[in-house]
Amino acid sequence: MNKVFAVIRREMVERIRTKAFLISTFLLPILMVVMMVLPAFMMGGTERTQRIAIVDGTRDGQLGAAVESGLARPTFTKDGETRPLYDVALVTAPDGVQLAEDSLVALTGFSREKMPTTLDGVLVLTDETLASGKAVYLGGNAGSLQGMGALQGTLSQALMRSRLQDAGVDEAVVMKAMMRADIQSQKVADGKLTGESGEASFVLAYGMGFLLYFVILIYGAQTATSVIEEKTSRIMEVLASSLTPFQMLLGKIVGVGLTGLLQVGIWGGVVFLASSQRGALAGLVGLDPSAMAAMPIPSMPLDLLVVFLLYFALGFVLYGALYAAIGSMVNSMQEMQQFMMPVTMLIVFGFFGVFAVMKDPTAGIGLIFSYIPFFAPFVMPVRWSMASVPVTQLVLSLASMIAGILAVAWLAARIYRVGILMYGKKPTFREVFRWVRQG
Amino acid sequence: MTAPAVLLEGVTKRFAGHVAVRDLSMTVPTGGIFGLLGPNGAGKSTTIRMIMEIYLADEGRIEILGTPHGARALSDRLGYIPEERGLYKKMKVIDQLIFFGETKGIVRGEARKRGLAWIERLGLGEWRDKKVEDLSKGMQQKVQFAGALLHDPDLVVLDEPFSGLDPVNSQVMKDVVIDIAKQGRTVLFSTHIMEQAERMCDRVVIIARGEKVVDGTLAEIKHQFGGTHVALTFSRDKEKAARVLADRSLVASVDDYGVTADVELASGAQAESLLEALVHAGVGMTRFELVEPSLQSIFIAKVGAEAVTAARKEEVAA
Repeated sequence: MNKVFAVIRREMVERIRTKAFLISTFLLPILMVVMMVLPAFMMGGTERTQRIAIVDGTRDGQLGAAVESGLARPTFTKDGETRPLYDVALVTAPDGVQLAEDSLVALTGFSREKMPTTLDGVLVLTDETLASGKAVYLGGNAGSLQGMGALQGTLSQALMRSRLQDAGVDEAVVMKAMMRADIQSQKVADGKLTGESGEASFVLAYGMGFLLYFVILIYGAQTATSVIEEKTSRIMEVLASSLTPFQMLLGKIVGVGLTGLLQVGIWGGVVFLASSQRGALAGLVGLDPSAMAAMPIPSMPLDLLVVFLLYFALGFVLYGALYAAIGSMVNSMQEMQQFMMPVTMLIVFGFFGVFAVMKDPTAGIGLIFSYIPFFAPFVMPVRWSMASVPVTQLVLSLASMIAGILAVAWLAARIYRVGILMYGKKPTFREVFRWVRQG
Repeated sequence: MTAPAVLLEGVTKRFAGHVAVRDLSMTVPTGGIFGLLGPNGAGKSTTIRMIMEIYLADEGRIEILGTPHGARALSDRLGYIPEERGLYKKMKVIDQLIFFGETKGIVRGEARKRGLAWIERLGLGEWRDKKVEDLSKGMQQKVQFAGALLHDPDLVVLDEPFSGLDPVNSQVMKDVVIDIAKQGRTVLFSTHIMEQAERMCDRVVIIARGEKVVDGTLAEIKHQFGGTHVALTFSRDKEKAARVLADRSLVASVDDYGVTADVELASGAQAESLLEALVHAGVGMTRFELVEPSLQSIFIAKVGAEAVTAARKEEVAA
């Protein structure tokens, strides 16, 4: 057993010491924090009051006032004080719209240093606006989607009110009639409310599925490359004289798996820390805490965490053994690709199972997948998080998982034993089958 | 009497299509240096791998250190250097040695202590924290030696241990091997360099084409081989010796090295007659000495140049 620990330890230490591991482990969290801070930083820096002139060329002059009051509402916060987003000047056009428009445009689009009273834009409203909704905006920020969207929204509202009024319809009635449905979902388990929102379970389910998919795909492949490295560096024969194939196999899978878990753990920890400390983080870069985007961190109930870790470990051992067997069969990374294909398919299939279960947690496909060892690690934690799973099903699923692992480990150990000392030409599937039979 | 360190009885190993080792029996006594000799492709490495339980024998019985449980069960008492050397290229020298020690059941702290001692002994001090890939081939070889010997094994199995070493490193390794034998432990090594085996081994087995052809202590083998051998060193007119040496009533065989030659006399011929014939022919010599047959000449006689080529052909075919 101590020998297995030595293999695990070597596998972890040598892996963690590589530049690739250090860079990927610490660069990703830094990137995540930057992603959280940067948008707030950029938006906070550019927000300022927009000076807009509205030329009201309508007959009754009502629309301009309505838009002005609508634009007075949005505000933003800067340096701790609340400021209006728009500074609106309403201009009536007794001498004709065109003349007023031209004189205002002449004041628009200068830099503020040059001309403090410069306008950001001119909105021209005419009778045609009332009839067909067409209005003209002339401004330095005409390309800004967000700015135009806000303007258009406000104008639409004002137009709607004005038209309703013209038609003699009570605005309040329409507002009430147009109220949208709002469903608040909550998860129920064992006839009790769990207090989790449906949305949080979704994020959680997707996150767990993706994590397993990612770790198995990346680190599973590393198990295979690690075996290939030992083959090409010819150290395999030295090891084979000291360790049993099973000790080598077990040590390698567990060592690589733990390294993967460590990396994912560090990532998860940083996300959690950055998210829960986002106020302090914002203060660090001189931003308002509320301006920072919140990372959705669903809380994980203890039972789910246990189920997830259990399936994560079993799943990794299962796939790790497959990958190690593949590594032992081939001599180079290129040769590996062909044999990896079926395993990758299994993983992708399992990951698809997550979506099937998320769509309908109680459907039969989830149940069937729960009993197939290659898919259960993906599907079971998701089912557990989204619906209540009978304990008998959990036990049966775990039993099938363990039976699957024993079968795969037996198979892998036999392939491994012959494969690790086999150099030269790549074996055919028929030869591999013979290795297994010979054992 | 103590049990032999290694005992093979009627061991056979087949690979797809050909027999690598056929009905091989040999006994490696405890203590001393044992040489397993043979031309390339004779089955030396296959035999060693069967002893180390890396291959399983198809037939026959193998006992290691007096037990039939196989080498892996005894792994902590065995040290092994395979023909294909192997180290983790990215690992530091000291970490590598610690790991090797641990795979032999030594606890970490102790493995570290012994690793450092070996590094000191083999003159690798300044390379202790370097990665293996930064070392020269000779130094890597030393690391391999240290890794295999760190746990003071009772039986050390070395497959072609001196190949690829320069004379200085070769000398260091030879001293290490001799030292192990002095401590009463057993060394089994394979080689195809006869001079080395002749100087170091107490006992040898020569195999060719998977079968044993010679077995015994060096003295026994030389005695059994018999014949009268003369070592010659020419000083001038060597070409005049050709006719004399071709005389089959006088000379059975000649191993010609150019300036020197090893001559085996025909049975019943006298050394004096050969000397007289050579002097008469006008050949100048600085040496004319009756000697024991060299292992090399025994090897050539027993295995034969033709056997070597046959084995090579098989190698190519396989």
